[in-house]
This record gives sequence, C-alpha cells and structure tokens, in this order.
Amino acid sequence: MKLAVVVQRYGQTVNGGAELHARYIAEHLAKHAEVEVLTTCATDYVTWRNALPPGIEAVNGVPVRRFRVKHERDPHLFARRSDRVFEHRHSLGDELDWVDAEGPNSPALIDHLSARASAYDYCLFFSYRYWVSYYGARAAARRAILVPTAERDAAIGLSMFHPVFRGVRALMYNSHEERAMIEGVSGNQDVPGVVVGIGSDVPKNPQPARFRQKYSIGGPFAIYVGRIDRNKGCTELFEFFQGYVRDAPGRLTLVLIGNSLLPIPENPRIRHLGFLDDADKFDAMAAADLLIMPSYFESLSMVALEAWALGRPVLANGRCDVLKGQCLRSNAGLYYETYGEFLETLRAIEQNRWLSGTLGRNGLRFFRDNYDWPVIERKYLDMLGRLSRDSTPRTMLGLPGPLERRRQNRPPAEEVVAALPTGPSLVRERDDLPLSDGGPGLRARRPS
Amino acid sequence: MPDFNVRSDSVNVEQIMEQLRARVREKRGVDYTEQQIRELAAVKLEKFLDPRGVRSDLLDQFRNTQPGSRPNYAFEEETLFETHRAPIRWIRRLLRPVLKLLFNPNPLIHALHIQAQLNTMNAERDGLYFEVTHNLVIETTRLGIEVKNLTMRLESLASRLEFNERRARALESVVAYRTAPHGAPVAAAIPAVAAPPPSQPTMGARESQSPPGTAPEGPGQRSRRRRRRRGRRGGAPAVATMGASTSAGPTSPPRSGHIGDEPAEAANGASGELSAAPNNEPTGARGNTAESVGHAIAAEAHPSEPRSEGGLNPPDVDEQ
Repeated sequence: MKLAVVVQRYGQTVNGGAELHARYIAEHLAKHAEVEVLTTCATDYVTWRNALPPGIEAVNGVPVRRFRVKHERDPHLFARRSDRVFEHRHSLGDELDWVDAEGPNSPALIDHLSARASAYDYCLFFSYRYWVSYYGARAAARRAILVPTAERDAAIGLSMFHPVFRGVRALMYNSHEERAMIEGVSGNQDVPGVVVGIGSDVPKNPQPARFRQKYSIGGPFAIYVGRIDRNKGCTELFEFFQGYVRDAPGRLTLVLIGNSLLPIPENPRIRHLGFLDDADKFDAMAAADLLIMPSYFESLSMVALEAWALGRPVLANGRCDVLKGQCLRSNAGLYYETYGEFLETLRAIEQNRWLSGTLGRNGLRFFRDNYDWPVIERKYLDMLGRLSRDSTPRTMLGLPGPLERRRQNRPPAEEVVAALPTGPSLVRERDDLPLSDGGPGLRARRPS
Repeated sequence: MPDFNVRSDSVNVEQIMEQLRARVREKRGVDYTEQQIRELAAVKLEKFLDPRGVRSDLLDQFRNTQPGSRPNYAFEEETLFETHRAPIRWIRRLLRPVLKLLFNPNPLIHALHIQAQLNTMNAERDGLYFEVTHNLVIETTRLGIEVKNLTMRLESLASRLEFNERRARALESVVAYRTAPHGAPVAAAIPAVAAPPPSQPTMGARESQSPPGTAPEGPGQRSRRRRRRRGRRGGAPAVATMGASTSAGPTSPPRSGHIGDEPAEAANGASGELSAAPNNEPTGARGNTAESVGHAIAAEAHPSEPRSEGGLNPPDVDEQ
C-alpha cells in the first residue's frame, strides 16, 4: 500500500501542532505501508517563505517531496479578507480569495497530485483550512482521507469547506467534539470517520529529580507547557494564579515551559524556563504536581495527553469543549471556568493527594487505552482496510461557475459557528473503536 | 460544607466538579462567566429599550438607525452623468459643455456630495451611540456583580477577623506563661473549673498573669475591667462561641490566689469562676485542654476541610 501524506509544512524543526501530528503519523504508518510526504518548501507559517530547496529528501527515513510556494502571504490582505468572510455576508468567491490569501499556494504540488494521484492508494490531508489541503483534496478526491485538526474558530463556518467534508473518503478526527462540530456544520454523517487523535513518545523512565536539581526547583509546582500566548489563555492563567498566590494559602509554584509572546508577571511563584528539549520537558512534567491547560481552543491537546501518559492530573479550561470532554471521559482532570472554580479545583488537586493520584492513574489508563501508538496505528489501518473493502462511490461537488461564485449569499462565518452546538461530548472513547465491521476483534489492543 | 465523594478508587469528575461548584457558590456566591455577564447585559439592554418602559419608539429608532439600515447614496462628481450604456455615456460627455452653457451643475453636485457624506457620518454616529449605550449597560452590570462579590468578600473577611479574635482569646485562655521568681518562664497552671460536667472539655479554664512587679488587682477592679471589655467586644463570650456550656451564672470575681488581669468569663466553663490551680498541674490535663480547643478551632476554621478520620485523605497515596 502506498500512502501520500499532504501537509503545509514538514520537517524535524517544524513544531506546529498539525505538522507534528502529520510527521508522527507518517513515521508510524511507514512501518506498515510505503509513505511519501508531499509538502511545501516553507517552514514559517506566517509568511510561507520558501526556506528549503524543492525536491526529495528523507526525514527520519520517510521520503519527503517538497514543492515551491508561489507567493508569500500578505498579512494585511489576509486580515482584510478574514474580516470580510468572518464578519460579513459574502460570496463563495470571497471565501476562495480568503484561502488564496491564507496559503500556502503551491500549484506545483496540486499539479503533482492531479497527475500522480493514481500512484497512491490513499492521500492523507492534514489541516482542512490550508490551500494545499483544500485544492489537494479536490484534486485527489477519490483517495482523500482528511485529518481536519479543526478548532472551534470562524474558519470552520466557511461554506467552501462543506463539500470537502462531505466528499472525502474518510475523516480521522482528533476528538468527539471536533467530530460533532464538523458533522453539525457540514452534515457529513454518512462519511466514514473515526476519532483517532495522536500518540506520544513519552519516555518510560523520566527523571523528575534531575529536572528539580538542574533548574533548582523545590516544592510542589503546577506546570504549563506550550506557547505562552494570549490566544492560549495565558493572560487569564497569570491573573488566576496570582489570585491563588494572594488568596489561598497554597504552596504551588507555576512553572512555564515554552517561548513567550507575553510579558511574564514579576512574581517569585511564577517561573519561566523558556523552551526546553523533550527530555527536560518530560522530566519537568513528571516532576510536576499537575498540568494546567488554560487554552480556549484546542482540537486535541497533546500536552494534556503527555501529562496523562506520565500519570499527572490535568486542570483544564472548561470553556474549551475538547479539553472539558477529555477530562470528563477520562476522569483524569478537573476544569474551571471562573476564578472561584480555578481556586477550588487547584486547591483540591494540591491538597488531596489521593484525588490527585487517582486522577493521574485514570489519565495513564486513558492514554494507554486510546492514545498509545499501537492503538493509533491500528485505527488508521482499520480505516484503510475498511475503505479498500468499501466500494461506495463518493463524489465531491465541484466549484460553481463564476456567476454563482459572485452571489453574496453566504452568511458570516462567525454566525455559523455561533449557531453550532456547544459542550463536551460524553461518548466514551472506546465506544468509537468498532469501525465498520467491527466487533471485539477490531477493538484497540492494549500494549503489553 | 460539602465534601468530595471520592472514597472509592474510581472518581467521577463530573460529580467532583458539581461538589466543587457548590462549594464555590457557598463561599463566593455566584460567579458569572463573561458569557453570562453579556447575556445579563443583553437582557437589561432589551428591558431598558423596552418601548413600554422608556419611549414608545426608542427601540425601533435604535434598530432603524443601525449602519446600513438607513438608505444612503454615494454622490460623486460623475454620478449625475453615469449610465451603464456606453453610447449614452459618450453622448452625455459630448453634450456636457452644452449643458453647462444653460446652467452650472457644480454647486448642486457639491451640495449633494456633502449631504451624502453627512448621511454616512450620521449613520456611523448612531451606531456608535448604540454601541456606547450597550457597553455602558455591560459595564454597569459587571460593576454591579463586582460590588456584590466585593460585599461578599468583605463579609468573609469580617467573619475571618472575628474568628481570629475568638481564636486568639481561646488560645490565651488555654496556655499561659508566667515568669518564675528566678526569671525563667514556666508554664502557668491551667486552672481547673470548679465543677465541670464530666463530658465538657475544660477549655474554659484560663489564667493570666500580671506583669512582674505589679500587684494583684482586687476583685472589684477586675470586674469593672471585664465589663468594659465585654462592652467593647459586643459579642458573646468566647466559651459560648466555642461551643462550651453557656450555663454560667453571673460572673463573680475570682478567688484569692488568682493572678493576672484576664476576665474569667472566657475561661469559665461551668460556674463562671476561676479556681486557683497549682502551677504544677499535670501536663496531661493541659494537653487535653489544648487539644480540644484545637479541634474546636479547626472545625470552625475549616469546616469544609477533610478530617483525618474518614475524610478526603485516603490511607494509600501513590505518587505516579
């Protein structure tokens, strides 16, 4: 079986969520099939500047074919078009202009897919919102499997994506909430889909003591791992944690790991360690009492899964449906929506070691049952097997003519998103495991 | 206060969150999310703009004056001569000098252009008014909620302060030190209650010490001071608050042999009298007294906190 993995950027130094997701999946599927990655020469997601040479190279043993980006992104144009389609009534042409402005525009990649699609059994497209995925899925619709990595932002409300959601062969979702959202917006319930997510290579023997010694951190601490950004809810986290230091007699310190786009508050109980390598990061997470995830929008929090894999409880922002749903389904984390709840949940985990330990154990079990690599690989292989047996013809609606594209009949994307159902999905992960012709045999196996 | 129901090995996060939220509500009142504040504000706005409440057509006025809802036109230099038919446009351009021979259309064009601009500005300003009003209502609602929260916080602080005062008084009543004649401080005796009921703790007993070198006060003096202090506190005596028996009779002056100037009512568990106790009272009795006070304090300080017996803390804790 030959598979193409299509993603906007790819490389060992590319650490974006969807890009890392694509790399992990490509490397793990390469054990079971012939995998080729089709991507652009860009490494910067803001400009899409061609930073790498076009052609074929191997990354961790997986062949990667790079194509040039035709033009860089103009941020002003992109912002203007985003305002247009997100906030005003607009036309399909406006939406197509928006995806052109977002990029990365790589006609060479699409030409390659159109000409060579038959050379692949299936093409896995990562991140529905980018130019290469949108036009690539259209070019190879009969072989397209979409990994949407969709968040609850305005882009999901653009009508141009609905035919893609309905026309691909299958969708590999990251969470039940993402699935409900995409099904709600596009009505693609009949398209085969499965909630898969992604695994993580968590070390078996992390060294928490080494981390404490290296960074001179004593006493209990909560950890945040990720980009320190307003969009990730860090401003609110700082405000709440400083309130905790002021109002509650707790002993926790907040340790921040990741590059910061925000000023870190001057507080002796808040320590920023910057970007750490994976070994230090996992040691830090193993040393922490809990992980805090303050983000409002996530399609799947890899960091939360890693914390659970290390047996650590998670305190998540309850306004993010995905995180809340994962906490409820796993019984491995608490969540907050207000300052009062933040204080109370943090104190509960801090002061009640039994609760903390039980949440951590549940998290470990949840990770092993649903997100360990053998489980993830099995879900992908099951889906591929199912598709190879399924001969149901599926067509993707083509783009309408120029006149139709100019009709101002599309509602603002934000209105569409606001009308979507909210709240966490309470479907248990294992309910999703049996696929088409499932049964006990297709259940994910637990690693020995 | 509610406790967690997590004594088994499996936890139910939803249930824990409900309990925690109940606790938050109990402590802080209702905490509104941003979304809820906005909803509240929207409700108030609608009420404020209710035609029956304010002005019959105010709401309609506001709605009608939203940007884009009022008709407007763009009036430029070429507007008068515009047409989508190219030949007519050409003819008009050809004959424009002839027209200008008959009258001067420029002032008309200029006036209409200004009017179009004014219309646009007015429409924007109306939108702005609406937005300002809306934001004002949101802010007022938020401030109202904040005031409520602050009031509750103030009440909480006041109760904490009151508790700390009581705690300090109770601690004073339990253990006291005095300077031995040769200068080394020794633990003073915990005075025994004259006739305490067997089930009652002896926490009420208290003895204080007078500064070295001061003469013991007389009973009348002490009684007056006690009355003054009671008046200042304006509350129930410590023993009553701490849950001790309140069957004490009228306070009577301490018996002879008593030193210190502390009033007896805080220490007087049953009879309201302090009895002289020897300084070398067994430490066990002192310990018991202190322990029972400690328990009482702990129970009152953190009634929601887990107790060691059968509370939150399980016997086995695994560090992952």
